[in-house]
Amino acid sequence: MSENDGRDPMLDLYILETYNLIEELEEIILESEKEKDYKNSIDTIFRIMHTIKGNSAMMFFDNISHLAHSIEDLFDYLRDNSELNVDYPAITDLILQSIDFIKNQLGKIGNNETSDGNPEELVSDIRKQLEIITVETPQESKESKNQADNEEHHYYVSSVKDCNEILEGELQNRLDIRYEVVIFFKEDCGMENIRAFTVIHRLKNLAYDIIYFPEDIVENNETEKVIRENGFRIIFSSKRDMKEIKKSFKGTAFLSKITINPVSEEESCTKIENIEEVKSSLEVVSYREPQIASKNYSSSSESQGKHNMLNVSVEKLDMLMDLMGELVISEVMVTNNPEIASLNLDSFKKSSTHLRKIIDNLQDVVMSIRMVPLAPTFKKMNRIVRDMSKKLGKEVEIVLLGEDTEVDKNIIEHIGDPLMHIIRNSLDHGIEAPEDRIAAGKNSIGKITLQAENSGGDVNIIIKDDGKGLNREKILMRAKEHGLIDKPEGELTDKEIYSFIFLPGFSTKEQVSEFSGRGVGMDVVLKGIEKVRGKVYVDSTLGKGTTITIKIPLTLAIIDGMTIRVGQSIYTIPIMSIKQSFKVNEKDVFKDIDGNEIIMVRGQCYNILRLHERYNIETEVRDIEKGILVMVENEGKSLCVFADELLGEQQVVVKPLPNYIKKVKGIGGCNLLGDGSISLILDIGGLIP
Amino acid sequence: MVFNCGRVVFMRKVLIVDDALFIRLTLKKMLEKYNFQVVGEAGNGIEAIKLYKELKPDIVTMDVTMPEMDGLEAVQMIRNIDGQAKIVMVSAMGQRTMVVKAIESGASGFIVKPFNEAHVVETLNNL
Amino acid sequence: MEDSLLNVMEEEDTQKDKFLIFSIDKEQYGIEIKYVLEIIGIQKITEVPELPNYVKGIINLRGKIIPVMDVRLRFKKNFRDYDDRTCIIVVQIKDMSIGLIIDRVIEVVDIEEEQITPPPELNKSSSNKYIKGIGKIGEEVKLLIDCDKLLSQEELEEISY
Repeated sequence: MSENDGRDPMLDLYILETYNLIEELEEIILESEKEKDYKNSIDTIFRIMHTIKGNSAMMFFDNISHLAHSIEDLFDYLRDNSELNVDYPAITDLILQSIDFIKNQLGKIGNNETSDGNPEELVSDIRKQLEIITVETPQESKESKNQADNEEHHYYVSSVKDCNEILEGELQNRLDIRYEVVIFFKEDCGMENIRAFTVIHRLKNLAYDIIYFPEDIVENNETEKVIRENGFRIIFSSKRDMKEIKKSFKGTAFLSKITINPVSEEESCTKIENIEEVKSSLEVVSYREPQIASKNYSSSSESQGKHNMLNVSVEKLDMLMDLMGELVISEVMVTNNPEIASLNLDSFKKSSTHLRKIIDNLQDVVMSIRMVPLAPTFKKMNRIVRDMSKKLGKEVEIVLLGEDTEVDKNIIEHIGDPLMHIIRNSLDHGIEAPEDRIAAGKNSIGKITLQAENSGGDVNIIIKDDGKGLNREKILMRAKEHGLIDKPEGELTDKEIYSFIFLPGFSTKEQVSEFSGRGVGMDVVLKGIEKVRGKVYVDSTLGKGTTITIKIPLTLAIIDGMTIRVGQSIYTIPIMSIKQSFKVNEKDVFKDIDGNEIIMVRGQCYNILRLHERYNIETEVRDIEKGILVMVENEGKSLCVFADELLGEQQVVVKPLPNYIKKVKGIGGCNLLGDGSISLILDIGGLIP
Repeated sequence: MVFNCGRVVFMRKVLIVDDALFIRLTLKKMLEKYNFQVVGEAGNGIEAIKLYKELKPDIVTMDVTMPEMDGLEAVQMIRNIDGQAKIVMVSAMGQRTMVVKAIESGASGFIVKPFNEAHVVETLNNL
Repeated sequence: MEDSLLNVMEEEDTQKDKFLIFSIDKEQYGIEIKYVLEIIGIQKITEVPELPNYVKGIINLRGKIIPVMDVRLRFKKNFRDYDDRTCIIVVQIKDMSIGLIIDRVIEVVDIEEEQITPPPELNKSSSNKYIKGIGKIGEEVKLLIDCDKLLSQEELEEISY
C-alpha cells in the first residue's frame, strides 16, 4: 500500500522513459536485422544510447550508464564510418544482450531492489567491436580533425619562465596595459580546463595578445588538475583600466580566488601582489530533498512529434471506470425511482432521456480511454521468435496482422504471457527443423501468423503455424492414461480432443525442452486467458499446422443485462446471450429417456434448465406454466433457462466475485442493484454442458 | 516578478532544451526552487529556435546532442538572431570538445550531467 | 456497543497483543486486531450456489463485495438463526477480505505473549486446528484464532464441480 513512500518520484519517470527507449531500440534493431540494412538506424541508436546514458547517470545507475556509453561510442563511430566491413550480426547480438541487461536492471529498480548487474563483459565485447572497426579504417580519426581545428586557434604560447623574452617582442603601445591574472576555481567544480577556456573566450572581447598557462587546456584534460592545483595564469593586453578588468572577471562562475596585476616589461610574471578573495555572491546552497509526490504521478506531455499522447496513471483510470459504473447505477436509481414511477412527467422523461444519452456517450469515451492497441504486445513476439528459432536451429518468420486492434488495458497485461507460451510451443513442438520441412515438401522457413480481429463484442487473437500439427491419437492416448475422458471415445470431436492439451499435467512430449516444459505450458495459458474471461480453441491438421484461437470479451465492465428472479435470489443474464423469452404451456414440454425436460420451439428441441434445481434455490415457482423460459445461446448451442419472473433490462456493472470464492460454473460475476442488493451474473457458456 | 519579503525580485526566464523529457523535468524542478522561471521546453534545436523567438527567455539551457538539429547548431542560430543570448550548454561527461566548440560559437557556460544543484545555480547566476 | 469498540481500536497506538474477543455459544474466541477492518451488524446475504456450507454467500459493504463465513458452521457446530445482535467481523488477510459471522462481540483486550500457551496437541479435531493458542486473563480462557487456517481454502479445493 505504501511501497512508494520515500521513493524518488523521478524514478518512475526515469523507468518509464528508459523502458520506452529500450522498446524503440529493440524494434529498430530487429527491423534492421530483418532488412539487412542498418544505415538508417545508426543515428537513432546513437541518440537513444546517449539519452539513456545521460538519464541513468543522472539517477546514479552507473552500470546502465556505462553500458550505454560503450554502445554510444560504437555508434558514434559508425555514424561516420558505416560503409566499412562491419560485423553487424555480432553487434546486433550484443545490443540485444544489452537491451536484456537494461530491462533486467529496470525491473529490479522498479521493485525497489538494487541495480547490481555487472555489464563489464558486455562493455568489453562492445569495445572490442569498436577496436576491430577502428583498426581497419585509415587514420581519418577524430583526433586529427581536432588538430586541424586547433591550428586555427593557435595562440602564441610559451612557458611562463620565458615571459620576459616574450614581452620584448610585443608591440610597443603605450596606451595599453598589460595584465597578469591568476585564477583559482572553486574546489570540486570540475572541468577546470574548460572553464578556463570559457574565461579566455570571454576575455577576447576586451583583450588581445593573450597568453595563458597551461596552454593546451582544450586538447589535454590533464590540465584540469594542473589548474586546480596551481591556478590558471593569463597575461593579456587591454585598453581597459583595472576597475573594468576586475568587474569583467568577477562574473566568472565558480571563481574562488583571483589576482589581477598590471605588469611592466621588467616585472616577472610570477610576481604576485594584491591577493584578493572574490566573495561568492551566491548564498549557501543546500541540496534540498526532492518532494515526495503522491503515488499517482501526475501526467506529463511528450511532444516528440509522433502522436499527441498523455501518460496517465492506471489507478486514475481505474477510479474513473469505477465512478463511471456508479454513475450508471445512480442514473437508473433516479430515473427508475419507485417514488415517481406512477407519475406522468413529460418534461422529466425528456430530460432523463437526454441524460441517458450523455451518460452513454461518456461511457463509450471512458471505455475507449482504457483501450490500448495490441501492437506492443505483438511486437514483443518478434524478439522471442528470433531468439528461439536461432537457438533451436530452425528458420521461422512471424507475421503480425491486425496489431492495431485495441483491447482493454487490463487484458493486455494478462495476454502477454499466454501468447508467449503458445508461440514458444509452436516454435518448439510445432515448426519442424528445416530438413524435415523440406522433406515434407514445405518451405524451409516456417511461418507463424499472429492475428487480431474484432468480432462482435469480442476480440479474436489467432495464432497459426504451418508446422507438423497435433497428433490426435497421441493426445487421445495420453488423455486416456490420465483418465480425463468422460465421454465415450466415439463421441469426441477432433476439436474436443485437441483441447485436452489445456488440461493440467498434460504433455505428450517425453523430454522437457528448455522452453516448453512438461505440461507446464498450456494449462497455465488457459488460466491466464480465463482471468480475462476469455476462451481458447484449438484446431489442427496433422502435417499441415495448428491454429489456436483466443476469444476475449471486449467490455469487461459494463454489459446490458436482463434481471430475473428465482426464489429470493436475483440473477442477471447478459442480453447478448438471450434469443427470446416466453411463457409455456405444459403440453409443449416433454421428457427424454433420461428424464431431462425438453421443449420444442419452431421445430427445434431445446433442453430446459431449471435454475432452482441446478443451484438448489428455494422457490415456490415450480410449475412450468407459472414461471418463464429464457432461451439463451452460446457458441451455437442453446438452451432454455427456467426462472420465476423477469424483472427488467438494465445496464449492469460487472464486478468479479471475490477471490476467496472459487469459481462456480455458470456464474460469471455479480453486480449491485439499485437497492444495494446483489445479483449474480450468469455465464451462459458455463451453464451449457 | 515575485514579491519576496518586501523586495521585488525579478525571476529570470529560462528555456530548457533537451530531447530527454526526464532531463527537462529534473532541471525544471531544480531551477524552480530558485529565482528561475521555466517559460518553455524544447526537444530539439529547431523547436528551440522557434521558442526562443516566441518567448525571448533570459537564459537558454541547451543539450549538446539532439535530433533534427543539435545543440551546437542551435547555439549558432540563436546567437545569430540575438547576439546577447545567454546560452548554457548541458553536456554529459566527456563531451569537452563539443562544449569548447559551443563556447566558441557563443555559449556562455556549461553544466554537466548528472546535475549538481549548486553548480547549476552558480553557473546560471553568473552568466 | 460496537461503536465504543471501534473507538477503542482507533485510539490505541499499537495493535500488538490486542485481541478482539467474540463468543460462540459459551466459548470465547480472540482474533488479532491487526486483521480486523470493522464490525458490522448482520445484513442481507446473497447466496452463491455450490459453495461449502459455512460460506453463506456475499454481502455488499459500501460497494465492495465481500464473502461471509458462518464461523459456527466452520467450527462444525450447529447452525443458529441470526438475530439483531449477530455480528459480522470483517477481517483482511493479505489481499482477501472476508466477513466472519459470529454470535456476539464482547470486547478488546490485551493478551501478552506470556499469557498465551499453545493448544493441546491431542485435541486436534477438525475445529481445534483453527486455534493457534490459548490466552489466559485472570480466570478466563480465550481461544485465539489462527486466521490463516480459518481462511485456508484446502477444503474448498476438494469440492470440484
